Amino acid sequence: MITLIGLNYKTAPLAVREKLFAGCQEENNLLHELIVIEGVQEAMFLATCNRIEVLTCIDGQAQTVQKLRDFLAKSGSLTKKESIDCLYTYFGEDAVRHLFRVASSLDSLVMGETQILGQVKNAYRQALGKNSTGAVINRLLHRTFRTAKRVRSETAIAVNPVSVSFAAVTLAKKIFGSLTGKKVLLIGAGEMAELTGMHLISSGVTEIIIANRSPAQALMLAEKFHGRAVSLEALEEELIAADIVISSTGAPAYIVSADLIRQIHHQRKNRLLFLIDIAVPRDIDPLAGSVENVYLYNIDNLQDIVDENMNVRKKEACKAEAIVEDEVKRYISWIKELEAVPTIISLRNKVEGIAQAEIAKAAPWLTTMKDEERRKVEALVNAIVNKLLHNPVAALKEESADFGSAHITAVTRQLFQLDE
Amino acid sequence: MSSMEIILFKLAFALCTLSTAGYLLSLLIKRVALAKISTWILVITAGLLTINLFLSLINPAGYVQLGSREFFSFCAWAIAVAYLVIQIKTKTRLLGAFISPFILLLMIAAAGQEAGRSLVPEDMRSWLTIVHLVLVIAGEALFVLASCAGAMFIIQNSLLKHKKSSRMSRLLPALHDLDRINYLCLLWGFPVLTLGLFAGVIFAGFTWERGWSADPKIIWTFAAWATYGFLLHQRLAVGWKGIRMAVMSCAVFILFLLSYSGVRFCFSTLHDFI
Repeated sequence: MITLIGLNYKTAPLAVREKLFAGCQEENNLLHELIVIEGVQEAMFLATCNRIEVLTCIDGQAQTVQKLRDFLAKSGSLTKKESIDCLYTYFGEDAVRHLFRVASSLDSLVMGETQILGQVKNAYRQALGKNSTGAVINRLLHRTFRTAKRVRSETAIAVNPVSVSFAAVTLAKKIFGSLTGKKVLLIGAGEMAELTGMHLISSGVTEIIIANRSPAQALMLAEKFHGRAVSLEALEEELIAADIVISSTGAPAYIVSADLIRQIHHQRKNRLLFLIDIAVPRDIDPLAGSVENVYLYNIDNLQDIVDENMNVRKKEACKAEAIVEDEVKRYISWIKELEAVPTIISLRNKVEGIAQAEIAKAAPWLTTMKDEERRKVEALVNAIVNKLLHNPVAALKEESADFGSAHITAVTRQLFQLDE
Repeated sequence: MSSMEIILFKLAFALCTLSTAGYLLSLLIKRVALAKISTWILVITAGLLTINLFLSLINPAGYVQLGSREFFSFCAWAIAVAYLVIQIKTKTRLLGAFISPFILLLMIAAAGQEAGRSLVPEDMRSWLTIVHLVLVIAGEALFVLASCAGAMFIIQNSLLKHKKSSRMSRLLPALHDLDRINYLCLLWGFPVLTLGLFAGVIFAGFTWERGWSADPKIIWTFAAWATYGFLLHQRLAVGWKGIRMAVMSCAVFILFLLSYSGVRFCFSTLHDFI
């Protein structure tokens, strides 16, 4: 049975997510521990800043589910109350729907953002690398990517992507008016920082400085933005010159302290400063936001901006939900139908085999005919076979989609003696 | 005051009321389109007031009749024109919702005054007093604008600091733009006020043999001048910006508004006509 357990920004506050995220840092080992839990057949692990979820195929025992929940709680050292309050569990069709919605970005903090699909793909790639998935999850993920692709191409939900980075740019405009000539400092050179940088450049920002622990990545990004790469040691100097700071490192402690912001305030000549902290755990001391002319937003605060655009997107989301529902239905019926498929194949093989055998038997007199006439006879035979098979095959498919196919496949196998 | 001037004034008064109502309503229902219409109504109001002022200037008896009504309607005109210029320069229509009530108040004050009653004493009639009045009023009008921008900055700042993403926040101009309006108004208002005061001082030096005495309104105006000078200095030299500047401009403005009312209603001064 497909089972999904996890927590996200809706069920768990930042502090709890931080704890679990910190506990899930060494993903590979966790995946290994997951797969050896008794009753777990397949497993995959999705950890982003907004959600931590475990997708598994298990034997369906209640105690296995409990073991999985305990495992997650232990990894994040969550209290009993936290794990009861924050963790959700979905089974079967609900789990499929949830996964489709997550990948289609219908369940994201910023609905319609496109990063989550990449994150799901990454998680799947990791699971593949660890060989922790099997037929069920492989098939499920294949359909998940297909659903996400459909949602993106058939609705306008991602046309004007409302992502965390986009929300940040909107805020920047509320503070600075025009972004032309503003200096942007990216701390951390991750995917998120890159995306925000791209948004800012399209809004008129000309100078981007990237400060990163690994100089190689910073240089790469700097080249892309025609910006400058600096080391984290030069942070203070760059903070003095910057107007907008976006921090998204994976550092465990604050990188920018409130004291530092207070100290450089005078050197900045009291200019407006917009700090965006999209890292989990946070990079910028929340107290920095209380400094005069400094505006600090963390990832949870960006929710407010997202709500603005949510209303506009609700209509598109409805369409997307319909697509998800359609795909869920297809997937479920496909799974059920799959049980009928081997029977249908055997049936076809058997009947076509009989027809071929009869044609082979008739070969001596068939060869006396003209080529054109012989082809006509063969076409006639094929047509009869197809017509005869059509109704039984359709009935098998239909029956299996609605009620499960055990009964009808058994009858079919008996009638046509397919098992001999 | 001719009947033509009275009609013009009444028309301007009605339009100003309409424009203020439009601005306030646009703030309430959060529609910029309404603010745009109100801006155009204010343009017409300013135009009418301009004609009115022009008429009273070319009226041979006009200067002699310079009274409280002319004074207040001139103040209203100065603020309206200063706002419209700033609005063209910075494209922040919503400032109108904050500034138009002031203009309306001045118009009400003007309407409440007896028309044509000259309050300027005989011995103070000179072209220098006109220059003095025009420049001082223009300077003060710019400070009113600076304070309004400051008030808007305070509101927008608190919305952003408390992470409240309301429609109000979207409607209000960006912080940086509001700060710039505050800066421009101080930058232009201060020299204009300085020149105005200078004209008054020269007039007093030439005309009054006794020199000029410690008149409450003179003290009030010099205090305002010095405070705004201080603010401008802090802005340019010390680098005060943003919220501190906004709060200070507002506080200073309210303080002077209160002390002005106090002086006006409690003392008899050389400037009784204002």
